[in-house]
Amino acid sequence: MLTRAFTLLFLTLIAVPAFAQSTPTLTIYTHPSFAADWGPGPAVKDAFEKTCDCQVRYVVLSSGGDILQRLRLEGKSTQADLVLGLDTGTMENSRQTGLLGHHETDLSALDLPINWQDPVFVPYDWGYFAFVYDTEQLPNPPESLDALIAAPDDLKIIIQDPRTSTPGLGLLLWMRHVYGDQASAMWQQLKDKILTTTKSWSDGYYSLFMSGEAPLILSYSTSPAYHMAVDNTDRYQAVAFEEGHYLQVEVAALVQSSDHKELARDFLEFMLTPDFQRHIPLKNVMYPATDLGDELPEVFSHLIQPSEARYFDPKTVTDNRRQWLNEWLDAMTR
Amino acid sequence: MKLRPTAPFSHPAWRLLPGLGIASALLLLATAGLGALLWEASLPDVSQLWGSRYLRTVITFTVWQAFLSVLLSLLVAVPVARMLARQPAFPGRGGLLRLMELSLVLPSIVAVSGLVSVYGRQGWFTGIASDWLNVSWNIYGINGIVLAHVFFNAPLAARILLQAIESAPASQRRAAAQLGLGRWWYWRAVEWPAVRPVLPGLAALVFTLCFTSFAIVMTLGGGPSATTIEVAIYQALRFEFDGSQAALLAVVQLLICGFLWWLAARYGLTASLLPDRRVASHSSRAGRSFWSRLTDGLALGVFALFLVMPLAAILLRGLPGMGSAFFPQGSFSVNPALLDATLRSLAIALPAGLMSVGAALLILASGTATSRSTIRRVTDVTAYLPLMIPPLVLGTGLFLLFRPSLGNSSEGLVLVTLINAMMALPFVLQMLRGPLGRLDSASRQQADQLGILGWYRWRWLHWPRMRRPLALSMAYGTGLSLGDFGVIALFGSPGQPTLPVLLYQQLGSYRVDAAAATGLWLVLLLLLLFSVFNLLGASRLSLRRTANSPRTVQEPEHA
Repeated sequence: MLTRAFTLLFLTLIAVPAFAQSTPTLTIYTHPSFAADWGPGPAVKDAFEKTCDCQVRYVVLSSGGDILQRLRLEGKSTQADLVLGLDTGTMENSRQTGLLGHHETDLSALDLPINWQDPVFVPYDWGYFAFVYDTEQLPNPPESLDALIAAPDDLKIIIQDPRTSTPGLGLLLWMRHVYGDQASAMWQQLKDKILTTTKSWSDGYYSLFMSGEAPLILSYSTSPAYHMAVDNTDRYQAVAFEEGHYLQVEVAALVQSSDHKELARDFLEFMLTPDFQRHIPLKNVMYPATDLGDELPEVFSHLIQPSEARYFDPKTVTDNRRQWLNEWLDAMTR
Repeated sequence: MKLRPTAPFSHPAWRLLPGLGIASALLLLATAGLGALLWEASLPDVSQLWGSRYLRTVITFTVWQAFLSVLLSLLVAVPVARMLARQPAFPGRGGLLRLMELSLVLPSIVAVSGLVSVYGRQGWFTGIASDWLNVSWNIYGINGIVLAHVFFNAPLAARILLQAIESAPASQRRAAAQLGLGRWWYWRAVEWPAVRPVLPGLAALVFTLCFTSFAIVMTLGGGPSATTIEVAIYQALRFEFDGSQAALLAVVQLLICGFLWWLAARYGLTASLLPDRRVASHSSRAGRSFWSRLTDGLALGVFALFLVMPLAAILLRGLPGMGSAFFPQGSFSVNPALLDATLRSLAIALPAGLMSVGAALLILASGTATSRSTIRRVTDVTAYLPLMIPPLVLGTGLFLLFRPSLGNSSEGLVLVTLINAMMALPFVLQMLRGPLGRLDSASRQQADQLGILGWYRWRWLHWPRMRRPLALSMAYGTGLSLGDFGVIALFGSPGQPTLPVLLYQQLGSYRVDAAAATGLWLVLLLLLLFSVFNLLGASRLSLRRTANSPRTVQEPEHA
């Protein structure tokens, strides 16, 4: 037993690819859905390695928040050359670590709902938070935040906790952007319709929503694209709210202490080319950061088109989120 | 066999020092982890803890739900263990035991999806309850949290209690059987003395598990009013970057759970030295009558349903995706990603299981080698530290200490293995404590006189009676690591995922069918693991039992 176990361990260890020392290795900290076999990671790695004399290596951390945390903990001794998978919620805190460098990339190719001029962060995809509904359970979903809040209490929704989840924080900011100081009062009215507040998007989507526990879940406006293109079902759709939707932008940045800054900058530039962007729509299930023209999959034309992109600049979020969160906790536990 | 004058490892220090060393290492690790976090941050303001209404509610809620969960888990576990001990032979008993072992090691997201399919708003049970019994049941809230905790912990508790009852001194059982004691007296005379020494530690174990519960509490809790200290620690560390607050909360958690363990160590664990001579075992008469068989059968049937239904839901949900996992191109071939992940998981889990069993044995040995009860209690409580310190805090603290050197992929795997072994230690210890402590003093004295020490003592005295508990604890140690997601997520994995990581990757990218299949595969693998270890532990023992035990003799028919 012992020998067998250790043989297995040994085999695994040598199965970890040995990286050739002759070519430089670009180490990228990222999150699981990007680096998964079916995610954009592997295709992007192949495409970039063709253009550079280098190796791309992903270190997978469990979320954008974990990337930031790892970076803070490792400080200047980090082995990361690039971080990919931070978003507008974690951006400002990442900037404040002082560990990230300027990208010096031409951002003119960007095609976002907002104007983007950040010296440190380069967007690689974006999307809106939205409520996704099950058309079989709920043929006529509420069509605005107002209507959702005013709906009878037997309409149940699943949301995620803003303390532990990106979409959860997104909804907190969305409500704040729409209702301002009235947000807490609105949360109190919404409270009895919330079936539960899960730790992560996956917990809610897989364990509850797909089991039919509630007809509405906080998710992304792009979620139906996957169901339509890959699962071949129109059953799950996002509902367009009249107040507009909160915007999420996912970004990458280079690490100041990296020995391969030039390579990292090449990667950031490569990120805004079709060779990278064409993998985003169906593999990351988000909108590409540049205009893909005809290459944008057809299902994306069936997605909702929000009337307004709701967005706080990252600094406002960082300055206020602790207070907004406490107000939310107060409203929800009162 | 020829005894040499000095047996290998026979010096008393060999029994005391390695265990003490492991215990000190754990203590050092925990202090260093917490200390590093406190050092990095400014000293926390303790008054803020009692001043904040939110934190007070969090602490009260955490204690309350853990208390309820322990109470219910034990209320289920004690009767189940007694019934299983009373009915040593019925069809499906082995299967039921494997299911009981399985529930604790299931990854929480898989188990919760199963529980929701049965007890959720659209669940089978909920439908039956409202249509036939006119009972409205809502899983979201304290109900669901306690239900899930009972699902995870009652089978574990029953399993450990069963082992305790089964190893009750045969002399007592024989006397009780000859006297024809009824159930109540049998409980008083035989079962309670066997259960009592295990119970405090078991209660502390289940309490700690429920106290530190995280994702389950959030998924089924219904909202932020169901927040445990672990959630608040996560919030402090990941959301607010407030290391001092996190460390402070971790200390509160450590104090509450540590105090309970201390109590358990003081009033329970040391009292377990009951004499046990290996004689033919007699089962009680209480379980032989038709009525007792019928009622026991019905009650065990309900318990089995409670365990089977969520697993059946996992099975049903996983089947559609199994097609593409095992027949990617129409013919049978395992999906390479799944196969790789399985091998990688095993490569982490098997050594981790082995290490945890080894460490547990050494710790227990040092406990019996010293007569100073303080040392013994400290070693005891220290071994449970991995359960009490939030992994996030420990991980972050250790990261601060060893900053530059972590994160390399192969080092990462070794580290993950080590930490998994550490996390499994408390469970393994709980399983081995009873059997190892139960060697009777007469046998001990004889062995001392004959100079059977060190390795030989272990080989000829302990091994024959430890074989089965060792196999079970090896299964738990391995199973816990196999289903682990927390540790590997904390230290970051290289590109290649383990099974639970693969599951989360699939979940995170809408691959619901594939994820359900991976979940099912993981459950099957765990079931296989427990069965294999059960066979390994039982093979020689069951032969011996057939040879000289009246237990397997055909029982008289009553009906």
